[in-house]
Amino acid sequence: MELALRLSSDAPHYLSWGWLSVSVPNLIVIGAMLALFVLALVLPFPGNRRKTGDRS
Amino acid sequence: MSATTQETLEREPWTGPTRHYDIVKEGVIATFVVLVLTVVLAAIFSSPDDPALTFQGWAKSAPDNLYATTVAELAGTSDSATYGPPYNTNGDGQAIGPIAPQKWAGVHQPVDPPNDFVINPLSSQQQPADVADALVTWTSASADVQAGWATRYDTALNDPQGANGDATKVPAGVGGPVPTLATGLVAMATSGALDSVLPAPGQFFTTDNTKQILFLGDGSYLDDAGTANHLQGNEWGMMNETGNFPGQQWLAPFSFWYQLPIFNSDATTGVAATMTANADIYILAIIAVMMLLVIFLPYIPGLRSIPRWIPLHKLVWRDYYRSRK
Repeated sequence: MELALRLSSDAPHYLSWGWLSVSVPNLIVIGAMLALFVLALVLPFPGNRRKTGDRS
Repeated sequence: MSATTQETLEREPWTGPTRHYDIVKEGVIATFVVLVLTVVLAAIFSSPDDPALTFQGWAKSAPDNLYATTVAELAGTSDSATYGPPYNTNGDGQAIGPIAPQKWAGVHQPVDPPNDFVINPLSSQQQPADVADALVTWTSASADVQAGWATRYDTALNDPQGANGDATKVPAGVGGPVPTLATGLVAMATSGALDSVLPAPGQFFTTDNTKQILFLGDGSYLDDAGTANHLQGNEWGMMNETGNFPGQQWLAPFSFWYQLPIFNSDATTGVAATMTANADIYILAIIAVMMLLVIFLPYIPGLRSIPRWIPLHKLVWRDYYRSRK
């Protein structure tokens, strides 16, 4: 809890590449969103095998 | 398959296997999980809200800037005073060529900076004798005389060859009651009184912060705070948050356009100057066009064929497509 409070009150670190500037907290969330998107693409549907069996 | 055959097939009753599905149960579980996550994450990370900026803070950290801004409000040279609709008629607002929605909507939230920001707050409370006298002098003069005092003092105060922002270097006697009124308002702000008077004088609820934000926006205090927190529009500020918190990534499609030099120019004439001065409405129009493209995507040749060129759906439903081979 104390660590979370300390981290959240610190000034964020910003990364800049030319005209692009992004804070590290934003970058983490964007990275997590992209990772979720990729996982949603590649992970199999839960229970997919059983459903396929039902249909056949 | 023809459209008629497709429709006939779709109208046939389902004869395949069925299974029980309790959507209420799933909804209750999802709501409970989200509720627990919300409470736990709020307890751990709390809120990123910084303390609100106040006129007291402005008066204590940059009294000279508050003084100069007060003079500009009296002279009618501040951003608020020259903004135009919906606050006044001293400007046209933003427009794309002949499309000028601000102008068409007209003044529907009138703000009169000299009176709303300076004279009325000073008049609402007991003032020192010199400020009270200056108030009487100001209010008993005609509008032309008031404008003459304020404009002369504003010009003298901001003369780069003269006072250059230093009120002590403005020759005595310039501006009539203006310097006394400005000094009185800075003193009122320093005491904290201006913060409680400005929002909604004479009203119980103070939920309308328009005047505070306009007045704060006319000086450097709010601007400096925005810069310090990376909240300026030209540094992706729309997406950022105070403190070490993630901000609003979903505003990236808006924020992106503000980074382009054409919407972010220091030019005073030409296309870049026009685009920068009207950046908000131009970017709103761009986003509107993008939204229309998304809404009408199924009807737009070329764009609607993207899934055929990049068949991501075949990756998601790969079992189905594998079984079709």
